[in-house]
Amino acid sequence: MIIKRSLLLFSVALLSCQDSSGPSLPPDGTGFTIVGGGNNVLERYSSDLWVHGNYAYTGTWGNRGNIGNVMKVWALDAAGAPSLVGSVTVPGIGTVSDLQVSDDGQLLVLSGERGSNGGIFLYGLNDPAQPTPVGSALVGRAGVHTVTLSAIGGRLYAFAARNPGTDATPAEDPALLIYDISDPAAPTLVARVPVPRNYGIHDTFVRDGIAFVFAWNTGVIIYDVGNGIRGGTPAAPVEISRLVTSDDRIAGGPAVHNGWWFHNPVTGERRYLFIGQEGPGVVGSKSSGDIHVVDVADLAHPREVAFLRFTSAGTHNFWMDEEKQILYAAYYNGGVVALDVSGTLAGNLSGRVLGGIRPGGAGDTFTWGVQLANGSLYAIDMLSGLWQLRTE
Amino acid sequence: MPGDRSLGEIRLVQPTVMVHAGAFSDRLRLVGTLNLEGLTIPDGELAPGDWGEGFMDRRHPHTYAHELVLSYAERLGRSVRASLSAGKGFAPFGTDDPMARPIFRYPINHHLAQILERAVAIVGIRAGPLLAEGGLFNGDEPERPSQWPRISRFGDSWSARVGLLPISELELQGSHAEVHSPEHRLGAGTDQSKWSVSARWDGAVKRYPVYGLLEWARTSEANGFFVFQSLLAEGAWTRGRSRLHYRFERTDRPEEERTLNPFRSLRPHVENSILGKTRWTIHTAGYAFQLQPLERVSASPFVELSYGRIADVGGGLFDARAFYGKTSFWSISLGARLNLGMPLHRMGRYGVAQDLPETSVGLSEHHDH
Repeated sequence: MIIKRSLLLFSVALLSCQDSSGPSLPPDGTGFTIVGGGNNVLERYSSDLWVHGNYAYTGTWGNRGNIGNVMKVWALDAAGAPSLVGSVTVPGIGTVSDLQVSDDGQLLVLSGERGSNGGIFLYGLNDPAQPTPVGSALVGRAGVHTVTLSAIGGRLYAFAARNPGTDATPAEDPALLIYDISDPAAPTLVARVPVPRNYGIHDTFVRDGIAFVFAWNTGVIIYDVGNGIRGGTPAAPVEISRLVTSDDRIAGGPAVHNGWWFHNPVTGERRYLFIGQEGPGVVGSKSSGDIHVVDVADLAHPREVAFLRFTSAGTHNFWMDEEKQILYAAYYNGGVVALDVSGTLAGNLSGRVLGGIRPGGAGDTFTWGVQLANGSLYAIDMLSGLWQLRTE
Repeated sequence: MPGDRSLGEIRLVQPTVMVHAGAFSDRLRLVGTLNLEGLTIPDGELAPGDWGEGFMDRRHPHTYAHELVLSYAERLGRSVRASLSAGKGFAPFGTDDPMARPIFRYPINHHLAQILERAVAIVGIRAGPLLAEGGLFNGDEPERPSQWPRISRFGDSWSARVGLLPISELELQGSHAEVHSPEHRLGAGTDQSKWSVSARWDGAVKRYPVYGLLEWARTSEANGFFVFQSLLAEGAWTRGRSRLHYRFERTDRPEEERTLNPFRSLRPHVENSILGKTRWTIHTAGYAFQLQPLERVSASPFVELSYGRIADVGGGLFDARAFYGKTSFWSISLGARLNLGMPLHRMGRYGVAQDLPETSVGLSEHHDH
């Protein structure tokens, strides 16, 4: 079923119960169709996902009677539907907090935390159904919250978000750790960039040699790590600028958590940085936090220009269909949201919501992340597992 | 206990040394309480439902310098006295520290009903039966026994307490506090807005010493995103050397994500989420027998039995039945309170508030069970 964007916008506007700052919850069941997966991880809570080729990998989180120290391996059939084909237990952690596959499909890197010895863990994917451990870089009990891969200058780097440790010493401060993982058996720490304990660093987005560090109430910090505009390298990042986004009167502050730098192939612009604010939440049922749009046309002078708010749901990780100029956002208890980000963005974007879905159903949805791959949108839900969605 | 287990342990708990000093006709006073739990229970004390400072279902050890407060009081009129107090201690909020109360088991509402171990500056005014206190302090809670308040945060939080003492045995109080980022030492955490109302009786009823406390406390965190409430009623009746006591408590508790150790939650925080909220309803009854083998030396062997129920409230991932294997529990404590020297003072009462009646429930300074 194909529904034109304008019609969707109209229906969403009708369905939304909107107050002065935004609708209560994203729409449910418009713009998306469930085509596969779901209710397939019930013994653990799920965390992040990554899809590469005909395989998907998902993390696990916390304690659901079973510890979240497992990565699940999924095969995608010809129609893209996932089926579980294996799992990998990661030693010394309690949560697989993030994972990513290199562009060539040869290496999977995950981050682990909430255990005795967290860090980043590297797996070879010669057989993508059976990841094989090849190396790790461990940071101890503090662990690593996210890891992002980027090829810069012909070498592969992992940008790891080290959590704050218990002791208030510089060695235990939260930090962006940059590893050269060109030899995955021997990850080499090439840079350590401390981040204020405010709370610390949550995620990193790296593109074109620019690293956006999402550092909670310190805001977003923009580094040149190989772009050249400030002479930075992965071993010697150079700060370009930083911005503390609005807290939008959500308790806890700006809570800058994640982001996506939008390279618009239609206009050629690299103007917008989308930032997720992770406000207070009750994991599994309640969340808060807005999407903030920052104009980074001038990287040295970023400025916030727009936002999207749902008053009873908060955003989490993003993915984009850049050609179609659509931002997909996981929205915890709000499920998944599609947002039209074409043209000039300003002010309240609630009128640009294209659709939304709560894949596990109302009350049983807490969606962590999304990824567009092979023509499907995959959503990982903490409660109900991996879903395959079709976007309209 | 987590995993449907039963656990038992022997601990030396609440070892305290109290110091009082005065000068200038007692207008200048020093109150000090050294708490050695950091040495005797570094991993806390088994206590289903208790929480705080990174501990879950275990009561955390307090800081060594539990109180160290200097006060100056002056008479302003025939029935008006005012005082200024400063040091490390309790903010003027809520009710007495559980250590200074007759029931041995710590209530679950400790972090809802008291604010302690802060750098405080308190102004107090007493006019007849009225007592008013206002204080500034640092919002951060301690993270370990040896830690001192973060002085750079002094003044980021405040509280006020108003008391009415219509007769010497009865004390009514209402208090309010605004606490900045108590759970994150550097101040990145969410704020709390706290209320407390209580009535306390400490006096004879038909010639027998009777103690009673009725208290309601409420903490709203993150602009009301999380709300935790507590209702508590407790009493003690003494006849001769014997004392009977009972407590009813119904208190909400945040369920924080635990580490691989089921009794510890993640510290420092890296986000503002919790896993859910549980409501603990606990009945505790006990009997104590007072012995005094020597002058200024007393011992009170006691037995206490608690029965509690746990309910999930307010959604979230936490499932009490799945985590604990059941939703009710029993606990028993056998021990003895040991006391040498002066009786335990009411912690958290400084300056003109220190003139309130001291506890008469015969508590002591060293407890072993």
